[in-house]
Amino acid sequence: MDFSVITDHWQFLASGLLVTLALSVASGASSIAAGFVVALARMHGPRWLKPVVVLYIDSMRAIPVLVVLVWTFFALPIVAGITMAPFFAALIGLTVHLAAYAAEIFRAGIESVRAGQTRAGLALGMSRAEILRRIVLPQAVVRMLPAFGSFLSVTIKDTAIASVIAVPELMRQSETVQGQTFQPIEVYTFAMLMYFLLLFPVTRGVDLVYRRVAHLGRS
Amino acid sequence: MNLDWSVVWQHREQLLAATGTTVMLTIATMAIAVPCGMLVAALRLYGWAPVRAAATAYVELFRNLPLILVVFWAFYVLPIWTGLGLSPLATGLAALSLNVTAYNAETFRAGLNSIRRGQVEAAMALGMSRAQALRRVIIPQALRRVLPVLASTWVSLFKDTSLVSVIAVTELAYVAMQVRAQTFRVLEMLTAMAAIYWLLGYPQAKLADWIQRRYAVSE
Repeated sequence: MDFSVITDHWQFLASGLLVTLALSVASGASSIAAGFVVALARMHGPRWLKPVVVLYIDSMRAIPVLVVLVWTFFALPIVAGITMAPFFAALIGLTVHLAAYAAEIFRAGIESVRAGQTRAGLALGMSRAEILRRIVLPQAVVRMLPAFGSFLSVTIKDTAIASVIAVPELMRQSETVQGQTFQPIEVYTFAMLMYFLLLFPVTRGVDLVYRRVAHLGRS
Repeated sequence: MNLDWSVVWQHREQLLAATGTTVMLTIATMAIAVPCGMLVAALRLYGWAPVRAAATAYVELFRNLPLILVVFWAFYVLPIWTGLGLSPLATGLAALSLNVTAYNAETFRAGLNSIRRGQVEAAMALGMSRAQALRRVIIPQALRRVLPVLASTWVSLFKDTSLVSVIAVTELAYVAMQVRAQTFRVLEMLTAMAAIYWLLGYPQAKLADWIQRRYAVSE
């Protein structure tokens, strides 16, 4: 094995790692924000909206991310009459897909707080929004931590699939280097190491934080 | 925008065969990954210390790698290591199995650990051997808790089979994208692909939900 292929192309690979990080952070943040809105729409939205939201969530659980990404990049521009940079298409596709999962995490967390607490809040004259913000969410957010830890890990892993629509992230850059140098063992072993070093601390870190704060979520 | 949906009907036989491959891949992977996952979980819980460490390392590694990278790695590295000329289908099956085995091993381990220690101690106090206690007391209860998790792993696996399209396994995603490239009917083929995945995946997701409700453990 000759790992000089990595040192020779380190800038190219490092730029891929940066894109992976940027796409992970951007799609993670946007899908958590969108997921919160979707969860609220499912729980407190007007009645006609609920079946639509449920259909959306279940559909995203049924369709592969690859299909969503490929459709967003190749088919959406035809429908909408626009052109999109791969990174932007990946951000949209990943957000549409992951927001459904985030919404389910929010719903499970919020529903895990006993209904009696909401009723007690109402009896004290608080509005529903106030109850959500000051009573339910502070407890629910702590309980959601482990689920969001694995959500984050899934998000980072899913960004690798954006390589299929030519987003120049770590997976794609590794393929390119492999295609030029024909040293798949070195290149893919390096990519594995990078992804592992990125993902393992995320899952472990969230676990550690959760163990510190778990007591705050009990009631 | 002029659409010509007849292209989907014209290629119905190819798409049907590809859908069959997708379903077959899902079933074959699970058939491999359930017994292998049990074995890895058993090694991790009851094995000799170095074996235990190796099993833990395997599970942690594959749970923290993007599947698409494992697929590429298997495609380029497995033939070099094993000296075998594996077909894309066999390579895809190997990559999926390596991935799902790691997840299943973790599922089985968590299932066994979720049964309180006191039960083994009680069984042993009644004169059962450790193996007997495991077989007659622990495993029957653990299975109930494992089943819902296996169901959601199944749904993820069904979607993840689309990732082996990157090494030209002729499953649904690959064939649909091939037809798209040959006919230039991008929107029609990609939408048909998403629709077929949806039609198959949606009932599976609903079934997984039902199993989760049916076997929910409340303590």
